[in-house]
Amino acid sequence: MGEVELSCRAYVKMYLHACLFPRCSINGLLLSSSPTGGAVCVTDCVPLLHSHLPLAPITQLALTQVDVWCSQTQQRIVGYYQANACVSDNSPTPCALKIADKIAEQFDNAVLLMLDGSKMSPDYRVPPIVMYERKDSRWILKDKHTIMLRQWEETRAIASQMMESGDHTLLVDFDSHLDDITKDWTNQKLNTKIEELASPANGNI
Amino acid sequence: MKDLDIIIIIVHNRSGHVHDVSTAYVITKEKMASVAEMYDVGWEEMRDKLRKWREDNCRNSEQIVDVGEELISEHASKLGDDIWIIYEQVMIAALDCSRDDLALTCLQELRKQFPDSHRVKRLTGMRLEALERYDEANKHYDAILQDDPTNTAARKRKISILKAQGKSTEAIRELNEYLEQFVGDQEAWHELSELYINEHDYGKAAFCLEELMMINPHNHLYCEQYAEVKYTQGGLENLELSRKYFAQALRLNNRNMRALFGLYMSASHIAASPKVSAKVKKDNMKYAAWAATQINRAYKLAGRGTKENKCSMKTVEEMLESMQITMS
Repeated sequence: MGEVELSCRAYVKMYLHACLFPRCSINGLLLSSSPTGGAVCVTDCVPLLHSHLPLAPITQLALTQVDVWCSQTQQRIVGYYQANACVSDNSPTPCALKIADKIAEQFDNAVLLMLDGSKMSPDYRVPPIVMYERKDSRWILKDKHTIMLRQWEETRAIASQMMESGDHTLLVDFDSHLDDITKDWTNQKLNTKIEELASPANGNI
Repeated sequence: MKDLDIIIIIVHNRSGHVHDVSTAYVITKEKMASVAEMYDVGWEEMRDKLRKWREDNCRNSEQIVDVGEELISEHASKLGDDIWIIYEQVMIAALDCSRDDLALTCLQELRKQFPDSHRVKRLTGMRLEALERYDEANKHYDAILQDDPTNTAARKRKISILKAQGKSTEAIRELNEYLEQFVGDQEAWHELSELYINEHDYGKAAFCLEELMMINPHNHLYCEQYAEVKYTQGGLENLELSRKYFAQALRLNNRNMRALFGLYMSASHIAASPKVSAKVKKDNMKYAAWAATQINRAYKLAGRGTKENKCSMKTVEEMLESMQITMS
């Protein structure tokens, strides 16, 4: 189907989310601030949960809140990501498919992204992600060649650097926000840090 | 001495890859100052911190490794008999961070000191688990159980192995058998509830949480988790139960935001249902309105000051408003 572009900011925050809770299954939403039509540009993400992913209330609450935030900030929810606790199995779980289905109801070209924990070590050269797209009511593996990460080397370097300097501890997911509502699940501070690290010559982050 | 029977853990997880042992360890050793220097603490504080983490059963393995490693390598002689339980604590944390070098060092000291101990044998098994040598690990645990059939730690490790191998059905079966004998084991009941939730067997998860609430009626987290499971099961009866237990969780801890939101959402859904009587609808709208006020108040308090938090507050306000519209 169509092309999907993953921005540095979206990738780095997903990666840091997975690093912050390495022993848990984690998930989150993928957002886009670009107009529809053409390639899907994932420009940001919102980390959601690190516990009880299949349970409904908090997921529903988070989806609603993110929806509202998106309409306030001219973004839309275009996808969903998940990383399983057990690294030997990175296939989408029933709850992943359910949430992705819900997103696809509102956005035709929704993507489902699974992070592959076994490929996340600092020296791994290839993006540790597997993407799925919706075709005939089923989620099928997306052709690798339709997935773009601009400036991958730089993105990878930023992600590694931030993890090593402990910046992943700054990340707030929706779960953490509910534990302490003064924490910001839109992660503005982290976004700023990522921007600072990205090269100034790169306009489209 | 309290048996360090930690939560059942899947030892082989993402952290093993994220903290790449070969490169990361060397780099951090050269770059970082000692923990004592960085935080200006003496060895006694470090030892006390470790004790607190042991007592609270915290899984902050990276911190335990940082503090413990330094304490062991530089202050071992001062620790007296405490050193053995510290070796055990640091070893388990080291396994959790894929620091096999450190884990082995600790294990070897423990083996020297306690050559025939079941407790140390179990640690040997855990290290084998971390190296994914599950068959060997199982042999160790079976040997312990041959000698001592009541050894709960060995049984739990065997269940952890099943979980690590993705054999959820077997893990669930074994854990159920275990609980028939050891009915009061909260940690095990909680683990079982998590396994059931992951298998989407909400009825059985609810049962486990009911047992937990019986054992520990003042724990607001169990009430709130039970409410979440009931909400997920859906249907009017379950929604009403969920609302009751969200309310109970709030009574036990009025700062539990999940319970507050849960109360709001369950009451709203009940009020919006065409199947309820006018009285039930009215009552639930009252509960929902109360919850909404509390939520708004909490967010206003949280939002004072920073720009970022005002964003959360606005979002919640709008969300509550939009949900009210669909209700009426």
